[in-house]
Amino acid sequence: MSTNRSLKLTLKVWRQAGPGAPGHFETHELDGLSEHMSFLEMLDVLNEKLVLEGGDPVVFDHDCREGICGSCGVVINGRAHGPDAETATCQLHMRRFKSGETIFIEPWRSEGFPVVRDLMVDRSAFDRIISAGGYVSTNTGSAPDGNAVPIPREDAEQAFDAAACIGCGACVAACPNGAAMLFVSAKVGHLAHLPQGQAERESRVLAMVRAMDAEGFGNCTNHYECSAACPKGISVENIALLNRDYLRASLLERG
Amino acid sequence: MVTWLQTFVRSSVGKKACMAISGLLLVGFLVAHLAGNLTLFLPDDGAAFDAYAQKLHDLGPLLYVAEVGLLALFVVHIAFAAWTTIGNRKARTSRYAVQPDHGERTVASSTMPITGLIVLLFLIVHLIHFRLDERFEQGPFDLVEGTLAGPIAALIYIVGVLALTLHLTHAIGSALQTLGVNHPRWSPLLRRAGVGLALILGLGFLSIPIYALIAWGGSN
Amino acid sequence: MVKNSTGLLDSKVPGGDIADRWDKHKFDLKLVAPANRRKFKVLVVGTGLAGASASATLSELGYDVTAFCIHGSPRRAHSIAAQGGINAAKNYQNDGDSVFRLFYDTVKGGDFRSRESNVHRLAQISTEIIDQCVSQGVPFAREYGGTLANRSFGGAQVSRTFYARGQTGQQLLLGAYSGMMRQVQSGHLKLMTSRELLSVVKVDGVARGIVVRNLTTGAYERFAGDAVLLCTGGYGNVFFLSTNAKKSNVTAAWRAHKNGAFFANPCFTQIHPTCIPVSGDYQSKLTLMSESLRNDGRVWVPKEAGDKRGPEMPPEDRDYYLERRYPSFGNLVPRDVASRASKERCDAGYGVGETGMSVYLDFRDAIARDGEDTIRSKYGNLFQMYERITGEDPYRVPMRIYPAVHYTMGGLWVDYNLETTVPGLFALGEANFSDHGANRLGASALMQGLADGYFVIPATIAGHLAGRKLQPVGTDDPAFGEAEAAARAHNERLLGIKGSRTVDSIHRELGLLMWDYCGMARTGAGLTEVKSKIAALRETFWNDVRVPGSGRDLNTELEKAGRVADFLEFAEVFAEDALVREESCGGHFREEYQTEEGEALRDDKNFCHVAAWEFNGEDKASTRHTEPLEFEYVKLTQRSYK
Repeated sequence: MSTNRSLKLTLKVWRQAGPGAPGHFETHELDGLSEHMSFLEMLDVLNEKLVLEGGDPVVFDHDCREGICGSCGVVINGRAHGPDAETATCQLHMRRFKSGETIFIEPWRSEGFPVVRDLMVDRSAFDRIISAGGYVSTNTGSAPDGNAVPIPREDAEQAFDAAACIGCGACVAACPNGAAMLFVSAKVGHLAHLPQGQAERESRVLAMVRAMDAEGFGNCTNHYECSAACPKGISVENIALLNRDYLRASLLERG
Repeated sequence: MVTWLQTFVRSSVGKKACMAISGLLLVGFLVAHLAGNLTLFLPDDGAAFDAYAQKLHDLGPLLYVAEVGLLALFVVHIAFAAWTTIGNRKARTSRYAVQPDHGERTVASSTMPITGLIVLLFLIVHLIHFRLDERFEQGPFDLVEGTLAGPIAALIYIVGVLALTLHLTHAIGSALQTLGVNHPRWSPLLRRAGVGLALILGLGFLSIPIYALIAWGGSN
Repeated sequence: MVKNSTGLLDSKVPGGDIADRWDKHKFDLKLVAPANRRKFKVLVVGTGLAGASASATLSELGYDVTAFCIHGSPRRAHSIAAQGGINAAKNYQNDGDSVFRLFYDTVKGGDFRSRESNVHRLAQISTEIIDQCVSQGVPFAREYGGTLANRSFGGAQVSRTFYARGQTGQQLLLGAYSGMMRQVQSGHLKLMTSRELLSVVKVDGVARGIVVRNLTTGAYERFAGDAVLLCTGGYGNVFFLSTNAKKSNVTAAWRAHKNGAFFANPCFTQIHPTCIPVSGDYQSKLTLMSESLRNDGRVWVPKEAGDKRGPEMPPEDRDYYLERRYPSFGNLVPRDVASRASKERCDAGYGVGETGMSVYLDFRDAIARDGEDTIRSKYGNLFQMYERITGEDPYRVPMRIYPAVHYTMGGLWVDYNLETTVPGLFALGEANFSDHGANRLGASALMQGLADGYFVIPATIAGHLAGRKLQPVGTDDPAFGEAEAAARAHNERLLGIKGSRTVDSIHRELGLLMWDYCGMARTGAGLTEVKSKIAALRETFWNDVRVPGSGRDLNTELEKAGRVADFLEFAEVFAEDALVREESCGGHFREEYQTEEGEALRDDKNFCHVAAWEFNGEDKASTRHTEPLEFEYVKLTQRSYK
């Protein structure tokens, strides 16, 4: 905290009016930035400047700014969420950059995530995939006591590791195929590790993969870029689990 | 039956599984193929190799069944590869301005379609050389010697096998993942074993054109 | 000038023994027959814990539900960011917990400014919430034997907090969200994402719909229904810097208030003691470090003011001031007490760090005692988050923390049915005022949000739907036209100013005023002064703000401007409420009213009541209504954590 470098940066920011519209990079120079700023605060500075100069601010999605809501996410110099491992864009700080650097800022690029405006993309495909089966069908009021079914700690931990997914879509953005397997497998894996998830285990994986395919995401070819970009470090072990469950469900499903 | 199978092969996971299963079976074929080929190195002027070829030939109709099976595996593998690759291109039409210099992607994983294509071309040349050439039946060893003695042919074989090796270093581990084999204890081992097998196959197959270049190349 | 009024507010609290009240009330409420439920349209605004759980449950029951959220997905609501845990009176640890103890702790923790009946109901329902969440697949922490794990939290002397690492809110919200998405699939629930409420529409005095703006297309849209549920969270962002998400706002509650819903106890704000301190003017938000850290971390500053030796200082020169002042609770005193103690030290010149506006939270002793691995397994993700933000490694250097605005206990006034003073308009979760009094205990917000959504509203909404004769209302009703026109005009006015100040710059300025005058310590003089400053800033805003673009399109600056305009109005009621409440209680600390030791001094004779403000029109004074609070089961006592 004792040092506070000042940064001068050149930004190449992607501007796009709407889905399907042609986009382009716009260049902006920013000076006097504090290294303790977060990346989004740096964009705030840019936007205040743009508004006062009579321009249109850069649209980007964001909300909690503490790495949990999954709203934010831009591709920074070709890396989804930027250079730091297990760090969402909002948690990335400017001390990670050098003064004089040029930074390319782009939206998630995937057919499953149409650009809404500039750096903001439409990730409603994820909601549709969850609604296809990413739940346990239990109505409020019908639950047995919380301790009625013991869950081995190891299972609970594994379920949590998968459930930690924030649905930001960095996995899709980082995947050369625009595949959504890490996201889908995180939900499948979360529920597959718990006794509550067993009743619908087969129907869930079949339905969620069907929904995923219908959204136009690509196929997983095991590059594992998804896991490298994931701010929550979700493991590709979940993808193997999804594959396993899908094969079993496809082969053994009755009817 | 038909419905679920249709659904399965059309799904992203199903397509990948078909590719993985056919690919692993092809790896099995490569192992057998290499074992047979290595008889070339026995110091008996090709007698063992010719005997091995003869044994296969003696299988008669069974050989055709096996060949049709092999062909089917290739077709399945290539068809699903093409299908998924086209799908993947569609799912990601635009590229990022900056291509990061590091990540989880490897040379092998990002060149799978290209190495696959090279292997396919090489396979066609290979079949023309040894499957479709009638001289093979008279003297398999002689034909191998005659063909590979030429430096261009040897070079084609070297390139083809290198592409195959690169393809396999990603393929074996990837196929296991696709079929759901991943466990923190075993996966690192299996992944290394996959790369190891790819290298063994690669070195094994490479040894033949290289040997041919050195041992026979001068004598021609 | 404040107008006062008493006796108007009917809390509808049932009589009888407190333990039987909720059951009795549920029995007395009218029911809607299963086959009739689909005929009732319920509009749920907000999809945090309260909104998502209400939407899911009401859809399951068969109501025709439409849910609205300002985010692109309901899963992004700010409940997701809650870290620590959720309380429930399960007594799984056999340490003497009970429904009554949770009730007692919550009433006392709220410094006797909450409604006993509501709090008791909350404590009763708490156990069912855990069962519900477990059945949804929420991966709570477990013991090796497979049973649910608990920890003690935020000043409780029993272990009743259930948690999922440091991401409990996330897991609970994803559980409720999954329940919602299941109903979307089944067709019972319609989801309207990227919609912001601009107006609550009343027909014949009953809430019958809303006008929203589609944030993606800019279109104004009308929705009619038979009940409107506001689950829109708290107003902490009136301080600009808070631990709330950037989009959290008071707009829905405020617009409802301007249309007849009373606003209760706006000055009751929780300042959380353990947040990462402000580092510069560019700061856009503050980040909470979970309260659970105080279980192992020790809070200290130097004994000598201005001692700049920092973490190197030997133990004898450190002042572990919470342990010194509160020997029995030590570092685990409730949030309001801990926050004020930090402020007191920093104001007196003992603060540490570059700005002197922070205190140490030190894990050195815990690491020496339990080992780094144990500490890592408990708090790993929090330590990592701290390091990312500050660039300092808390395993080596003590964390620096300072209080920050975190939660707002005040909110729309609701009766026992969660209904506001507008019939048919309900408020759930942080958006209402009901259960936490003047201070909320740790791990109780999640409990309340889910209690309201899963269990309370499904029962009480039937009383409204079956009890009142609701005539069919369509969006072509003139009331909708008027509401939409007003909302449009409001936005067009903002766009037309074309001044020289950005929305954020004015919001920042408002935040500073609120922090300085309405923060952890308030004075009568300061509050009087700040009211005129707020009014002046509001003038500046309406004359000089610059909102680019148009209203017919996606326009993030316009969204922000609308919210800040509401904050600027709301802030004045906030200050007024703080000014009139001439006592100190919980998060409301008036410097004039404190004990000799500097603790909050309540005035139960004059202020043992809820203050609910009625809007009387632009530029007119609001009326302050009061609802007296009676304490039959928890005796009014001075809180002591010594």
